[in-house]
Amino acid sequence: MGAECQYELAQAAYVKLALHALKHPAAAVNGLLVGRLLDGASSPVVVAVVDVVPLSHCPHHLPLLPTHELVLNLVEDHFGAQGLAVVGYYHANALRDDADLPAVAKRVGDHIFRNFPRAAVLLLNNNKLEEAVKGKNREPVVQHPILSNSSKWISSTV
Amino acid sequence: MAAAAVAAMATAADDEARLLRLEEQAGHGGGGAWEYLCLARKLRARRPDPVLRLGLALLNNSSARSRLASEQWTLYEQVAVAAMDCHRLDVAKDCIGVLSKQFPGSARIGRLEALLFEAKGEWADAERAYALILENNPFDQIVHKRKIAIAKAQGDMSLAVEYLNKYLELFMADHDAWRELAEIYVSLQMYKQAAFCYEELILAQPTIPLYHLAYAEVLYTMGGLENLQTARKYYASTIKLTGGKNTRALFGVCLCSAAISQLTKGRNKEEESSELQSLAAEALLNDYKQRAPSKEVLITNMLKNMKLS
Repeated sequence: MGAECQYELAQAAYVKLALHALKHPAAAVNGLLVGRLLDGASSPVVVAVVDVVPLSHCPHHLPLLPTHELVLNLVEDHFGAQGLAVVGYYHANALRDDADLPAVAKRVGDHIFRNFPRAAVLLLNNNKLEEAVKGKNREPVVQHPILSNSSKWISSTV
Repeated sequence: MAAAAVAAMATAADDEARLLRLEEQAGHGGGGAWEYLCLARKLRARRPDPVLRLGLALLNNSSARSRLASEQWTLYEQVAVAAMDCHRLDVAKDCIGVLSKQFPGSARIGRLEALLFEAKGEWADAERAYALILENNPFDQIVHKRKIAIAKAQGDMSLAVEYLNKYLELFMADHDAWRELAEIYVSLQMYKQAAFCYEELILAQPTIPLYHLAYAEVLYTMGGLENLQTARKYYASTIKLTGGKNTRALFGVCLCSAAISQLTKGRNKEEESSELQSLAAEALLNDYKQRAPSKEVLITNMLKNMKLS
């Protein structure tokens, strides 16, 4: 995993992400990123995130296993037909100033990483999301922890 | 008993549907705002935007307000809370001002003022205000719960858990509190403790399918053969209590059966479980055929994988 990896987020995917978080302002939301590896041989490697699948907005369903297993299976099947795979996971925290990736997100990220070594985990920045809604700030609202060599998720800039 | 539970859930669903209908209607100027606000209050639904908009419109309209007479104070309270939820602290402050002039020295207003501190993020002031109220009335449930909420809002989950446990020692029958505690434990990945909370809930209210479902999911997450078998039993009881309509429970039974057969490979297979599994699988397929025929293929594939594995 020493190679640089770039991620392209399609607009539809990005908008779905943001809207999911905005629809449930009082809860944590999460979902899967779906996409494909564009060109494995080039460097930097590019992963295109084509779509997102919003998962849930209930705080007590987030870390529970059955739903996650089910969902990963079904989503892989459904998008596999189109040549896409689960390439990552997104998460938005319930508390506004909470900028940490919760343990459950790391675990899901690890699981996805086992199947897709270029997995990405996106953490929504709630402050930036609020500003984007008010039209003040046009910066992207996601922080992007990636899997470093020592298999910990570290932050990197978008 | 199961029929009563299903009927209760049906009326709750009816109420929710009526709430949404009234919201639409009132939002487009079709009247029924007061009815909507009363229903929202009764159901304790959290819909701050419409409540704020419609409530404020009613309050600012002096003829409508005088028609409400003594009910207007409840409306002021409702609008104040909705305003705080929408972060319109100016509106909240005005409403609370009106109320405190009408009811000076009231503990109920005191709670609202402390809530306003919370909304502003002034935690120390809020805690002080709540402590004052508790001095006069140490068994004020709502204030106890706000203290827990402050801990949660500050992200201090272990403190929230500590407060919640103390609260439950005093108010053992508060089911919402048990649920809240279970959810916090789950978010902290303390599954055994969460399971304990759900067990208490099921003992107290055995006909509510929600608790059976949540308990089953926690057991499945904990893993291990015994937990999986128990989880399957609770998924099955959820199916019974919801008349077979709960998709998650149907999925749950299939997942459990697949996981159990993985664990018991080579040992004697139980005969009774396969009937449950095939019934659940059939119910799932029918459900998808009716409601989402395009996704039926996915389910068929998944079930095939499970039976083979």
